[in-house]
Amino acid sequence: MKKLINDPAHYVDEMLDGLCAAHPSLMRDGPAGRVIRRTEGARAGKVGIVTGGGSGHLPLFTGYVGPGLVDACSIGNVFEGPTVDSCMAAIKAADGGRGVLRLYGNYGGDRMNFDMAGEFLEEEGLELSTVLGTDDIASAAPAERSKRRGVAGIVYAYKIAGARADEGASLAEVTAAAAKAVERTRTIGCALSSCQIPGAAEPSFRIAPSEMEMGIGIHGEPGIWRDTLKPADAVADEMVDRLLAERPEGSGNRVSVLVNSLGATPLEELFILYRRIAERLDKAGLAVVQPLVGPYVTSMEMTGVSLSLCFLDDELERLLAAPASCPFWKVG
Amino acid sequence: MGLTVTQIAAGVALAHARMATLEQELNAADSRLGDGDTGGMLRRVLDLMAEQRMDGIDDVGVSLGILAKAAAAATGSSLGTLLATGLLTMSKRTKGRAEIPWSELAPLLEQARDAVMARGGAKLGDKTVVDALDAVSSALAGAGDQAAIRARAVAACDEALVRFRNEPCRMGRARMYADKSIGMDDPGMLAFARLIESICRRGA
Repeated sequence: MKKLINDPAHYVDEMLDGLCAAHPSLMRDGPAGRVIRRTEGARAGKVGIVTGGGSGHLPLFTGYVGPGLVDACSIGNVFEGPTVDSCMAAIKAADGGRGVLRLYGNYGGDRMNFDMAGEFLEEEGLELSTVLGTDDIASAAPAERSKRRGVAGIVYAYKIAGARADEGASLAEVTAAAAKAVERTRTIGCALSSCQIPGAAEPSFRIAPSEMEMGIGIHGEPGIWRDTLKPADAVADEMVDRLLAERPEGSGNRVSVLVNSLGATPLEELFILYRRIAERLDKAGLAVVQPLVGPYVTSMEMTGVSLSLCFLDDELERLLAAPASCPFWKVG
Repeated sequence: MGLTVTQIAAGVALAHARMATLEQELNAADSRLGDGDTGGMLRRVLDLMAEQRMDGIDDVGVSLGILAKAAAAATGSSLGTLLATGLLTMSKRTKGRAEIPWSELAPLLEQARDAVMARGGAKLGDKTVVDALDAVSSALAGAGDQAAIRARAVAACDEALVRFRNEPCRMGRARMYADKSIGMDDPGMLAFARLIESICRRGA
């Protein structure tokens, strides 16, 4: 796979330099510059929100640092969790004196390092909480929902937790809002082609030109099935069916929809899918609120899409509509 | 005789040299079950570990602590973090000592295994690096000299790979598609086995 890069060893740092140069609202900080935080610093008296994870997924994770969203982010090498030192520095950078919510995807390396960072910082008296993104329905059975990975749906948790923190809510309240957003969000992805880690000799996985894989993870983890490429409507139908089959108990008739490109799939194809998804949701009696269509969580040059549904209630809908801005997403 | 800082440094050098050929083998193994980056990640970890200077250090615990910090600084990946956790545990248990008798290596590795299990959440039998670590620590029980340590460690890794190859993965995303993981080596277990082989100078 062709990449416009220099030395693969400098891939992440050069990307972060460019990101901050293009968006002065962000700056690098922490050990080896692997923390991205708001240049204006944490807002005193507000609950801080910190996230983190591996590179290779822009706009996730660093791209969601901004008002009404995330305060700081620790970033690892491509598809690797951030180091414990970066996690500690990011938590401190997000601290405005009212505690910090650690909000990140349910991946082993991320979890271990944020946990270790928390163990160190709680000794210093910092109040912390954790919410893990677990929206990928293909990564564990419903009975094991807590084991599921966090994928594109985590942006809903960022938005909702960020808005709640901006309202002046306590750490417990912000944590509860984030947990509710996670609890009510479901995602499934599919891929048509692979991606390749800079410096790797081979793509992360191999898939024939005529094939697609349903349920694949954002690092190319194996999915539910692999078969010949289907028409867009058939793919949209299956994704909607799978997500609606897991509709949260007691959810109402309002949903937000995220049709996300995994990197190489163009907007045209996303809108072809969205057209069908919107029809299907309407037929199911669901009203779409604030639809999102575009690259929100990617896997470098992977061709594919994910569909997320966030089943709203009054609180979530209000928080989703609150003003927020970051380099890749502006609301209000 | 026992384990000294000189031998630890030599072991790191051997493991580091092995990564030249092991990197892509591990990436390929990982791409079948995960995201295909285990080899690249481990190479970066060993690059940084090999850069650590041990001149003038004669405390085994201090040297293991330096290696643990290097691993933790090089990556936040699961396997790298577990490596750092295991090294840090062994570092704490050996602080202030210039030499660790070979007979103490088995209990040290058991403590590292327990710390890795606590940090990562894997259980014995889940087909992870923990099972390889457990196989080696069990095999070293009662071994009192370096030759026996080397032979038993290599044999234990071989046996663990064979024993678990046809088992399903019970940890991570691969557990969802357990059938796909049957017949494949767990990348973490494979990495541990190959590096133990190199440190023990298999075939040399």
